[in-house]
Amino acid sequence: MKPILLQAHERSLTKILYNKDGDLLFTASKHNLPNVWWSINGERLGTYNGHNGAIWDMAVSSDSTQLLTASADQSCIIWDSETGKILHQMAAKSPVRSCGFSLTNNILCFTTDKAMNQPCFIKFYDLRDKEQVATNSPFRDIQIEDSKVNRMIWGTVEDYVITGHENGQICQYDWKTGERLRVDHSHDALIKDLQLSKDRTMLITASKDTTAKLFDAKTFQFLKSYKTDRPVNSAAVSPIKHHILLGGGQEAMEVTTSHTKSGKFEARFFHLIFEEEIGRVKGHFGPINTLAFHPNGKQYSSGAEDGYVRIHDFDQSYYDFEYDF
Amino acid sequence: MVALCLDDGEMPTFHEDDVREAQKLVEDMDDSVLISDILDKRPRANETIENVVIVDNIPVTDSSKLVKLTNVLLKIFSKCGKVDSHHIPLDENNKTKGFMFIVYKNGQEATNAISSCNGYKLDKNHCFAVNRLSDFEHCMSIPEKWEEPKPEPYKPQVNLKSWLCDPECFDQFAIVHGKNRNTAVHACGPNQSFPVQQREFWTESHVKFSPKGSYLATCHKQGIALWGGPDFSKVGRFNHHNVTYFQFSPCERYFVTYSKTSLSPEDPQNLIIWETRSCLNKRAFSLPVLNYWPYFKWSHDGQYFATITGDNLSIYSTPSMKLLDNKKISVQNIRDFSWCPCENWIAYWQSENKDIPARVTIMSVPHCEPLSAKNLFNVSNIEIFWQNSGNYLAVKVDRTIKNKKESENVFEIFRLREKDIPVENFEIKSKVMSLSWDPKGPRFAVIQGEQGRTDVSFFKIGEKILPIGKTLTNKKCNCIKWSPLGQYCVLAGLNNISFDGVLEFWDIGGDAPTLMNEASHFMVTNIAWDPTGRYVCSSNTYGGHSVENGYNMWNFQGSKVFEASLEGFIQFQWRPRPPTLLREKDIKDVKKNMKSYTRDFEIKDKLSQSKASKELIEKRRAVYDEFMTYRRKKEKDLEVLKLQYSELRTEVVEEEYVEETVEFFMKEEVEPASKE
Repeated sequence: MKPILLQAHERSLTKILYNKDGDLLFTASKHNLPNVWWSINGERLGTYNGHNGAIWDMAVSSDSTQLLTASADQSCIIWDSETGKILHQMAAKSPVRSCGFSLTNNILCFTTDKAMNQPCFIKFYDLRDKEQVATNSPFRDIQIEDSKVNRMIWGTVEDYVITGHENGQICQYDWKTGERLRVDHSHDALIKDLQLSKDRTMLITASKDTTAKLFDAKTFQFLKSYKTDRPVNSAAVSPIKHHILLGGGQEAMEVTTSHTKSGKFEARFFHLIFEEEIGRVKGHFGPINTLAFHPNGKQYSSGAEDGYVRIHDFDQSYYDFEYDF
Repeated sequence: MVALCLDDGEMPTFHEDDVREAQKLVEDMDDSVLISDILDKRPRANETIENVVIVDNIPVTDSSKLVKLTNVLLKIFSKCGKVDSHHIPLDENNKTKGFMFIVYKNGQEATNAISSCNGYKLDKNHCFAVNRLSDFEHCMSIPEKWEEPKPEPYKPQVNLKSWLCDPECFDQFAIVHGKNRNTAVHACGPNQSFPVQQREFWTESHVKFSPKGSYLATCHKQGIALWGGPDFSKVGRFNHHNVTYFQFSPCERYFVTYSKTSLSPEDPQNLIIWETRSCLNKRAFSLPVLNYWPYFKWSHDGQYFATITGDNLSIYSTPSMKLLDNKKISVQNIRDFSWCPCENWIAYWQSENKDIPARVTIMSVPHCEPLSAKNLFNVSNIEIFWQNSGNYLAVKVDRTIKNKKESENVFEIFRLREKDIPVENFEIKSKVMSLSWDPKGPRFAVIQGEQGRTDVSFFKIGEKILPIGKTLTNKKCNCIKWSPLGQYCVLAGLNNISFDGVLEFWDIGGDAPTLMNEASHFMVTNIAWDPTGRYVCSSNTYGGHSVENGYNMWNFQGSKVFEASLEGFIQFQWRPRPPTLLREKDIKDVKKNMKSYTRDFEIKDKLSQSKASKELIEKRRAVYDEFMTYRRKKEKDLEVLKLQYSELRTEVVEEEYVEETVEFFMKEEVEPASKE
């Protein structure tokens, strides 16, 4: 498996993302320029020029026309993904941590940090009402009193969002009422990543407590746990196989003090059902911060603290591998 | 409160029912409930009886001298404490009866009076007999008829050797890991380990097996607990707060604990020797400063233990726990000593002092007769290495060489089993880091050179000391661990990242060392052979760093058997085995017929392996089925969801894929147009 190495970011990667068709790969880093690439050969299509701070999260609409970015410059931008033009820029009072389009691309949601004497907010805008984005007046603000939201994704259908918090809890919030529907306390440290399976029924969490856990996205029924010996920064479910992909490693600040070999920067494959490790992919020399499967399941990409994105196309042996049971 | 108000009769507003209810409440409660605190202070008949002493043999006088006598007596007895009251009984003639009672303020003072005034001679004829009044009562109340004490019912003791009866003969090891000090004892099988016992918070720091494996000692704030038997039930404990160091005697009969906290405030003794079986304190020492541990070195059979105190060698013997011949052995400038691993011999060395040369002496105990001695000159340091069977003793002598940076190492090898104990001189040119003996054979290994550029050489003792093969140069190692059965050894680079955790498995049996296998365990911190020499465990503990903590198990040839990764891994220890009961001849027979045994074991291994894999597959199958049932249930929900999706989607959902062609710009080549 020979990866394609994408070298465009000067700082550590924060989020990589395929569009629904899988032909485009969006990458964002702590540097202020998100990029878009052809996923098939790693050719860069362009950059999105406009933010003044680190990009924390990205989302792309299901028709791939719009890109949403959450930035530490206290704003969230809707881009025309093809031209790179800013359609709307929504300002917040503290850094924007996480963002997402709803399934129908009708509702936009982003979360802000608890910082600069501001509490943590989850804000909802209805894109059908042009006024809301234009005047920066969300139709719903949910103030989070306890632990701040670190990651937010839309739930199975359009009716709720799932949030991962700093203290390790995961919650469901109903945007219609602003109510908290469910809480789960299985993790006891910061949630670094949340992703849904392709059919949107299962939720995988990645936590600093060195585990990734699989839940039913709707009921939060606990399904599986994947135990590693390092903080897990990102986790993804394969769309075609019973595989889980985990990425992580030591904290960035500890990396310089230890040997590259001990950093544990490999991407690790686990069997979804048996919770056992089945393979590792080496390559990065910093902890992997973000991982994504290609929607067709034949490719995956990883972005790491070292500033590189690596696109891996699976070899035939990957498809041939069968687990004994 | 209600009851009190009613007694005053000032609250007529109460409803009648309430009043009745309240009265009932008062009747229900007796004094013990209502004023228990006051009742507790009530004087009791027996409370002061401990304070009363009775003094016999006081002078018999008449009443005229009574006042004078009383003054004299009180003067004596008030020295021991404050006399609360006294009584001198008189007979019908107003003469004293020859005894008196004295009541002290408290029991302690009465005890003082008994100890100091009993046997006090007032004059020639009057010698006081002071006794506690309660003792009299006690003596009076002894029943006339002697009753035979009933024998205590027999309590079966756990079998401390049960683990040796394991039909598979698996060796056990203990591990401690995690924040909760998860402690587990595992049995090491041919390709995996099986937990025997697992407990959280079993210990507060670490655990230790006794030298013969009978006990597992766990360390707690209150002291040490001992566990043994098939279920690791508690078999003993030593109450010694904040124990920092502890040690078993080699025979397991005694146990030594050291703590900065002494047993009790009055008693400064903080190093205690306990008897393991009874958990009784056999001897205690007071050590304000502990310079090294173990403070005591024990002889191989636990008969003697010794320590250096100034210029003396103090050898104590068991079970009396007294100094050998009641005296310390004076050895001027003694620096270090070491017991022979299988005989009661001590090797010690004295440093140079003015004109007296340094000296290494081997002495037999208990007669304290020197067996051999050697004088050495220009010595800066000496290290003593006994061979396990006591056949040889290597003494590493570091010389001070003036105006030379290179240090040279000389070994003196004592052949203890040969006539007159010949001593041989043996020199190694470069700096020696360590020497280690083959536990069974007349071989030893030497690591020499500087950190990072080390050479390893092996030597054999025959008529002469000859090297085995060539010196292995440029090895990334700082440690040699011999198999307990000898012949095989592991070279390892411990605690150093630049060594890459290299492990080399060598066979030293032949004419030259043969490398059996080379492996690596990143950041390895410890190497431990199991007591039977079948497995080697390399562990990476939490001590230095928190990455990749865990252990790898290797067989003696250096192929990996299994590995385990444990977060916050603190400790690994093999359970030692008692020495084998087989005679030399039996062992030889087993070795001769090895082939017939191997076949049996191979069949057994195969069976257990196929059984294990079958079990694993069944387990997986079950997990898989369970998950698939969940997924099937979800699939039904998914149908509903799909409907919801399509309702929500306002745009037309194109299910069919449209073929798109994307052209990529691959390469541009500019060819210069020809000028033709």
